[in-house]
Amino acid sequence: MSDSQSTGNAATAVDGTATEGRPARAGRPALVKRLMPERRRPAPVGHARETSDRRLGYMLVAPVVILLLAITAYPLIYNIWNSFHFDNLSFGGLPHNFVGWSNFSKMFKSAQWVSALERTLVFTVVTIVFDIVVGLALALMMHRQFRGRGFLRASILVPWAMPTVVSAMLWKTMFDPSAGFVDYILGAFHPAWSSIAWLGANEWRSWIAIFIADSWKNIPFVAILLLAGLQVIPNDVYEAARMDGASWWQSFTRVTLPLLKPALSVALIFRTLQALLVFDVIYIMTGGGPGNSTQTLSFLNYQTFIINTDFGLGGAMSILLVLLALAVSFVYVRAFRPSTN
Amino acid sequence: MGMKRAARWRAVTVGVGAVALTAGAAACSSGGGSSSSVAASAKQTIVFAESGLGTEGQQTQTAINAFEKANPNIKVTVQVLSSDSTTYLSQLEHDFISGSTTPDVFESDVTYPAKFAQAGWVLPLTQFKVDTSQFFQTEVDAGTFNNTLYAMPWFDNPEGLFYRTDLIKTPPKTPAEVVSDAQAAMKADPSLKEGIAFEADKYEGAITSFLTVDSAFGGKLDPSNVNTPGNVAALKWLHDAIYTSKIAPQAVTGWQEGQVQAQFSSGFTPFAINYPFVEAQPSAPAVKGHIGYIPFPAGPGGTPGSALGGEMLAINAKTAHAAAAYKLIQYLTSPSVETARAIAVGDPPSLPSAYTSALYAKAPYFKDVKTLNQYSQPRPVTPNYLQVSTDLQTLFSSVYANGSPNAASAAFSSGAAQIKTDAAATPGS
Repeated sequence: MSDSQSTGNAATAVDGTATEGRPARAGRPALVKRLMPERRRPAPVGHARETSDRRLGYMLVAPVVILLLAITAYPLIYNIWNSFHFDNLSFGGLPHNFVGWSNFSKMFKSAQWVSALERTLVFTVVTIVFDIVVGLALALMMHRQFRGRGFLRASILVPWAMPTVVSAMLWKTMFDPSAGFVDYILGAFHPAWSSIAWLGANEWRSWIAIFIADSWKNIPFVAILLLAGLQVIPNDVYEAARMDGASWWQSFTRVTLPLLKPALSVALIFRTLQALLVFDVIYIMTGGGPGNSTQTLSFLNYQTFIINTDFGLGGAMSILLVLLALAVSFVYVRAFRPSTN
Repeated sequence: MGMKRAARWRAVTVGVGAVALTAGAAACSSGGGSSSSVAASAKQTIVFAESGLGTEGQQTQTAINAFEKANPNIKVTVQVLSSDSTTYLSQLEHDFISGSTTPDVFESDVTYPAKFAQAGWVLPLTQFKVDTSQFFQTEVDAGTFNNTLYAMPWFDNPEGLFYRTDLIKTPPKTPAEVVSDAQAAMKADPSLKEGIAFEADKYEGAITSFLTVDSAFGGKLDPSNVNTPGNVAALKWLHDAIYTSKIAPQAVTGWQEGQVQAQFSSGFTPFAINYPFVEAQPSAPAVKGHIGYIPFPAGPGGTPGSALGGEMLAINAKTAHAAAAYKLIQYLTSPSVETARAIAVGDPPSLPSAYTSALYAKAPYFKDVKTLNQYSQPRPVTPNYLQVSTDLQTLFSSVYANGSPNAASAAFSSGAAQIKTDAAATPGS
């Protein structure tokens, strides 16, 4: 925060002194001086000055932009190219012929892909609703004054700070009837519950296990985001609401939620995209099983790309995932656009 | 102050960008190279890619040091790749696809050579006139594609049946006896949690545990037709172990070899289907010294069962150092070096002649391992093995999650066609 402010000050200082002639330009940062040596001509004024500053700006961001283009735009474009070609590495020597839309039609006709799409969408809707509701409840709790609040806020982030591979492995062990605590605790309620096989033995139980492992990791992220949103809501708004005689529920729905919209939208976009692309927790916990019943779009994409090394079909699947993610982001951005009045 | 900090940040950004770009450029330029061949006697450096970590990696390094001493003109650079087999494979594939001349020589799982051979990434070993009769035949078969040898057996991990010699006095002679022995043991010793543990998670191990029992029922995993009475009977036996005889808990559907080993080493089960590494693991006092290791006993019309796992050594088709690379392979697969490796880290030799009295003195269980190696079945040798494997994993895991008594036969009859198609898929189809 203070950093960006001071940068802003520096900029105005440079601009402010520019019109007064050269000596004042000693205030320019050393690097800027080196990149744009003083020239023996009157200092540019107004428009010209702005253009040269802009050019410097472009020069400074160029390396990062080039890097970003190289690692995001290039693969994306390459992937689009792939999706219209035959490219299967198992048959290394074959020409990568143009095949039109055939990779896409193969994908749409594949029952595996269609059911993976359905599963992914259902999983996404269920997890984000659950994560946002529970995350919001946690955020509201942590927003209150109580002893040990700092400790709680720090410790709630632990699951999120853990790599998904590690947390999925952990949960896989936890759900194992002979090694984990889940069945141990359930067994305390009813002896028959002490030896339930969760993973790979039944579709629904596998999904429940995946869902719990996924939520355990991601709810803290939502909670912290929303907590940050809650903290910027000024207290006097609540006071005003109270003076107007608003109940707790009224001030929650009329004050908190509307003012929390920006934070909510960020949490929703992040969580939705993550849920749409869910992969590692499934890869570790069930491998898509039993059968293919926990196979999601990303998992199928991995199978096609990495295991079958079919870059054409895999490319088509990736492009569709990207489009899906873009569509979702677009809808969210639209829905959460701040009202102009 | 603020101004200075801003300037510093800009400098850092520019610096980082520049470094990243140079690194990228350097990475791009490292591919390619000459493909003319260098004589074995010339001074040269070869790159050896392997997945060994910890003591296995150290043992490889020890062997390589000795090789360099014996061949002062050849220097070997070791490139350690991922210890996860799928990641390891894709790392190798990236090198091959980019046409890299390195690694010159590499470690390969027994299921990869056919795929590499079909893609033209590995050198046929015909020119070296390898005497394959000195190796266990099954691993030679795994390295052979279209009657040409592409990979040399390095070590040989046969999967088989572990049993507790204190609980099972005479080893079972039929699959039915495994069931009755397990049931009797569970009855006699309530501290046992189950009668048998095996890998039934949806991963590669589900295929090897199936293959371990398969030939005992007269089955054969031929992808052109997997729907045979033998295969159905073998899968049904494993399925029924969970649902009918209930000697295995349903939790096996989440178990890989590590969990299975933990069950056996902790003394929770009298039987387990697993790899030889179990012998070298620390185990509960009751288990220690009471470990038997046998091929899965054959039923009527079957032969004792074991599944082949293991690692092979192969040469990059683009290398200029084929002669030196082969020299390294010859050294690593020589009897004394294999014996030393088995003694040091427990990797079972691929050569019958490496099973010496010195090895037995150090670890008597290698006698059992040698026996198992004579029975072990390779997984289907096909360039599309990974697809076939995915199909089979899906098939097995759906059966293990299905309590219906006909699950195995139904799954084989509905899944066989897809497996045949995937195994036979050729360029152009």
